[in-house]
Parts: sequence; C-alpha cells; structure tokens
Amino acid sequence: MVKKLFSFFLALSLAIPNLSLAANVKVGFINSITGPEAPIGENLTNGVTLALEDLAKKGIKVELIKEDDTGKPQISMSAMEKLATRDNIAGVVGPYTSACANAVAKLAEKYKVPLLVPAAAKEEITRQGFKWVFRMNAPADVYASSLIDAALTLGKPKSIAFIYENTDFGTSTTKSAKEYVAKKGIRIVADESYSKGSPDYRSTLSKIKATNPDLVFMVSYVADAILLMRQAREMGLQPQAFLGGGAGFTTVQFAKEKEISNYVLSCTQWTDDVNWPGAKDFGTRYKAKFGKEPTYHAACAYESMMIMAETAAKAAGDREKTRAALKAGKWNGIMGEVKFSDYAGFTNQNNHQMLVQQIQDGKYETVFPKQFATKKAIYPFPKWK
Amino acid sequence: MTVFLQSLISGILIGGVYALIGIGLTIIFGVMRVINFAHGDIMMIGMYLTYNLFTLAGIDPFVSILVTIPLMFLFGGFLQKLFINRVLGALPQNQILLTIGLGLIMSNTMMLIYTSDYKIISTSYSSSSISVAGISVSEPLAISFIITAAITAMLYWFLIKTDTGQAIRATAQDREAAQLMGINVKRMSIIAFGLGASLAGTAGALISPTYYIFPQIGSTFTLKAFVITVLGGMGSIVGATLGGVVIGIAESVSAVYISSGWKDVVVFVLFLLVLLFKPSGLMGKSRM
Repeated sequence: MVKKLFSFFLALSLAIPNLSLAANVKVGFINSITGPEAPIGENLTNGVTLALEDLAKKGIKVELIKEDDTGKPQISMSAMEKLATRDNIAGVVGPYTSACANAVAKLAEKYKVPLLVPAAAKEEITRQGFKWVFRMNAPADVYASSLIDAALTLGKPKSIAFIYENTDFGTSTTKSAKEYVAKKGIRIVADESYSKGSPDYRSTLSKIKATNPDLVFMVSYVADAILLMRQAREMGLQPQAFLGGGAGFTTVQFAKEKEISNYVLSCTQWTDDVNWPGAKDFGTRYKAKFGKEPTYHAACAYESMMIMAETAAKAAGDREKTRAALKAGKWNGIMGEVKFSDYAGFTNQNNHQMLVQQIQDGKYETVFPKQFATKKAIYPFPKWK
Repeated sequence: MTVFLQSLISGILIGGVYALIGIGLTIIFGVMRVINFAHGDIMMIGMYLTYNLFTLAGIDPFVSILVTIPLMFLFGGFLQKLFINRVLGALPQNQILLTIGLGLIMSNTMMLIYTSDYKIISTSYSSSSISVAGISVSEPLAISFIITAAITAMLYWFLIKTDTGQAIRATAQDREAAQLMGINVKRMSIIAFGLGASLAGTAGALISPTYYIFPQIGSTFTLKAFVITVLGGMGSIVGATLGGVVIGIAESVSAVYISSGWKDVVVFVLFLLVLLFKPSGLMGKSRM
C-alpha cells in the first residue's frame, strides 16, 4: 500500500510540471521556499505569481519551473544544473540569498544560461565580469551611499558616528559606509560595534553623544533598532539625522513605535508610494491577493520575471538571443527604469536608484531622490520631546 | 567626567536588576546545593507574564509584579516539589541535566505559544529620562532600581528576623543538623525555590519595559546570574548583590572606555581575576 501510494505521488510529481505543455516559454525560478530564509522567499514567490498573471494577460504563457534551494548554496547549484541541462529553460530568475546567487552565477556562466538575480545584495555577484549574469537590485554599497547622499543634499553634515552590531551584516555594511564618507569628506567621530542582545546601550550612546556627531548611522535588527532609538532618546542624543542602514529600521514594527521612530531615515529598493509606473497598482493588487504589505523583494522578483519571460518569449527560447536582448534592452516598470549596464567594475548591473524613506507619523514616506518623493523630508531631526 | 559618571550610573542601575537575578540563584544554591540552570528561563516566564498582563489586561509592568511575585513563587514551589526534591541527593551532573532540561522545556513551550518573534512593551515612560546635572537617568531603570532595593531589604528582613527565614538559613548552613532540630527541610526547599523563582520573575518584569522579550532570552541571563553568584561567593546574598552591581558597572564602563563589543571579555577577565585571588568569591566565607 505504502509502495503504491509512493509510486502514485512520484508519478504525480513527475506529471505536474508537464501539465502546462502549451506554454511558449520555459523559465526557471530558484528561490528559498523552505529553510531559514523562507519568510522572505515567500515575498519573491508572491511577486512572481503576480508576474505570471500579467504575462498571461499579455499573451505570454510561461511554463515556470520552481526550484527550492532551502537557502543553501550547494542545493541552489544542483537546482541550476538541473534547470540548465535537463529542463532546457530559456533563462533563470533567482536565487534570493547572496550566497546562493553568487554560487549559481558561476554555473550560469558555465552553462551559458541567462540568469537574472532579483534581490541579492552582495557586490561580488556582478563584479566578476560574467556575461550571462544580470542583476535587478542595487548592490550593498549603494545602501550606505544613498543614505549619506540624502543627508548631504538635505543639510551640511560634517561628522558621523557609527554604531552597528558586530556581525558580518553589521560590519560589512558599515565598512562600505565608512569608505564612502571618507570620499565625501565627512569626519568619522565614533566607530562603535556592539554585541547583539545586551539590555543596555546607554554607555555606548553617551560616548557617542560626547562627540556630538551631525549624523548617526546605525545597523541593527528589529529589536535592537527599537532599543537603540529608545535609549538615544533617553540620553538626549541629538544629531541632524539618524540613518538606519539595516534591516531593523525598515519594518512595520519599528515604524509603529512612533515616539522614537519618527523622522528616522532609512533606505530601500522599492516602496509602493513611489511614482514609478505601476508601483501603486502593484501594491494594491498585492495587498488584495496576499493580505499583507508588499516588500521590495516582491517588487524585484515581479519585475525580474516580467523582463526575463518577455525577453525569452521574444527570442523564442534561444539563450544567446535572450542574453543579447537583456543586454541591449531598456524597460520602465514598477522598479523604475531598468537597464543592465557595465560601470564601476560591475557588469550587467541595473544601476538601480535606491529610495530613501523617512518615517513620518508612523508611516514610511519616500523623501529622496526628489523626483520620486511623496513627502518633504524633515531635516534636521526635530528636538526630542 | 560626565561620560564617566553617566556610565557609572547606568551600570549601577542595570546592576540592581542583575543583583536580583543573582540573589535568586544564590538562595537556591545555598539551600539546596543545586545550580539552577533554568534560572534565566524562569525569568523569561516572568517577562511573558508581564507582557500578557500588560497587553491583555493593561496592567503596568511595575504594578504587575504584585501578580508576578506570588504566581512565580507558586511556579517555583511546584518545580521544586515535583522535580528538584527528587534529585537532591543525586550526583551534581544529574541535577544540572535536570535543570537544563526544565529550562529547554520552558523556552520551547513559550516558542510554541508565542513564536520566536521579539515582543516589545511600550509604556509611556519607556524612553523617558530625568536629567540630573547633565547626567540622564533612565526613568524606568530608576524605578526598577528602587523596587529592587526595596525587595532586597525585605528579603534581608525576612531571612534574618522571621522564624521561617531563620529556618531557611539553618537549612542552608547544615541540612542534616537542621532536620535534627525539627525543621521541615523539604518545605524550606520549596520556599527557597519559590523565592528564587519569584525573584527571577520579578527581575524579568522590572527589565521588560526597557528590554525586549523572546523565548531564548533565558540563556544570556542564566550565564550572567551564574557569573554574579560565583563572583559574589556561592550562596552569599550580600555577595550576589555586590556581584550584580560590580558586573553592571564593569559592563557599562568598559563599553565606554574600550568598546561595547569587548565588554563581555572585560566581565569575564574580571571574573577570572577574582576567582584567581579569592577562589571562594568576594563574600565567599560569610554565608547567610
């Protein structure tokens, strides 16, 4: 009985991908569907689901072959090998995490498969001169530079203090930020790393307060972001702007703590109030279908799938033609203008414009760059009440 | 100078809460000779209790200790009666395994109920402070320090003046002799564990307006409580009070003058130095 059931499911699992044989383009999608990155992976899957709906409206039927990499590079690599050699896809969108995307990029180059990375931040991915690897989102160094650019446009900060958690994420983000401010002639007056989870950052903050910095740049996860801002308020740390360079400053939970989160600047790849064509519409559709706010991951995945499927369909599934069309093409959609170009050591990198958002009255509002802004930025940071 | 005073005051205030955790652990060790590795997890339960009282019933975290203390006392007594009493004569490693196991059960149960998301209590005073001569004193921490001091004073009074307190101290000094004198040592153990648990729970409640809550938070505080108790001298209540404040100050001052990434190193170096020159801890000899 068990054997029978097993063979039935096996047959079923083999049959399912073949159900949509009528499709006229085959695209692979590698994502973290299970594993520790699954909560974010879900956003990418949702974005792709919406993309398939829109492609069908345009008359492009996509046979999507989904592969789960569980967030592990080696599984991601075998998924890519399967897609490239057995499934004979025209192109691949994914994977989500930086580690996976970097591993898969080398295989894309080897098998000559167009790969479009939607939302992995590691700079190296598009810095290896690969011809077949394209990236939608802005790489990690832009996070820091766009925030600092925003501050430089809004005011004239002369000094900056860094406070960040002593993990890979914290130190690497801060490192690119430090290099950037050095170029811009802003003095670094404090450089404090902390170990995550201590109940008391007051002494570190009082040390920073004594240096009287114009900007405070912080990199933390959710809980520490709230704690740091609370204690900064307690200590009366009063810079011209608080810059949140990391995950913890761009969550709804953080924004809800109005007393301490108001007027904090942070950056993101995408917001649903930006005036890029279709962005608002995408936001409302997403909320209606999935019952939650779309993240930038969803938007990146949506646009990547749209571009990849359309290009591959036009090239009739030919990989070389698809690659050439990706390289030459230009799009304008929910991610703004997309063009894969070579600059500053990057190849096939979309020079994506990061958006700087500010929390105003408990909501994220896009404030920089000016042409995409929905609200005026409040600068300098108002006095603590 | 302001920066130094600032870090000193922050250290003393946070040290008060540490002391409360340490005292709980030291009472349990003193009476039972059992190291309670579930101490941090008991504190975590106290935090979730406070969180629920605050979000569901709207009870202020500082007021909620009136509920937390008796509930945690019963919880601790229950643990002692059901589990710890059975292993009192067992090998130390078995006792350790039991308490670690209890801690794991607690943290995983809480994870099933509340998921591993961070919970934050936001009160009107969560980020307010009083400024005294250029030094800002965190309001919630100052209140919790006052409560800690009051509780510690009451505990001293209880242990020194009351009959039950004296019986607990007698049990701590010599279990068998106390039993021969007609003291119900099993009951004293239950009271002692209950006290320890309610102190840990109270510490959890007091720290929750300024900190965040998640199921795995316990291990950090178990380690801290252990360091505090050993530093002060195992079983000594004065030692644990002193140890808590010393650790608080060491963390805070080293975060300013070295780096906050290094403060744990400073704490453990200090800890090793004390053990090297005074192996029984700061107050090792005088056991209350």
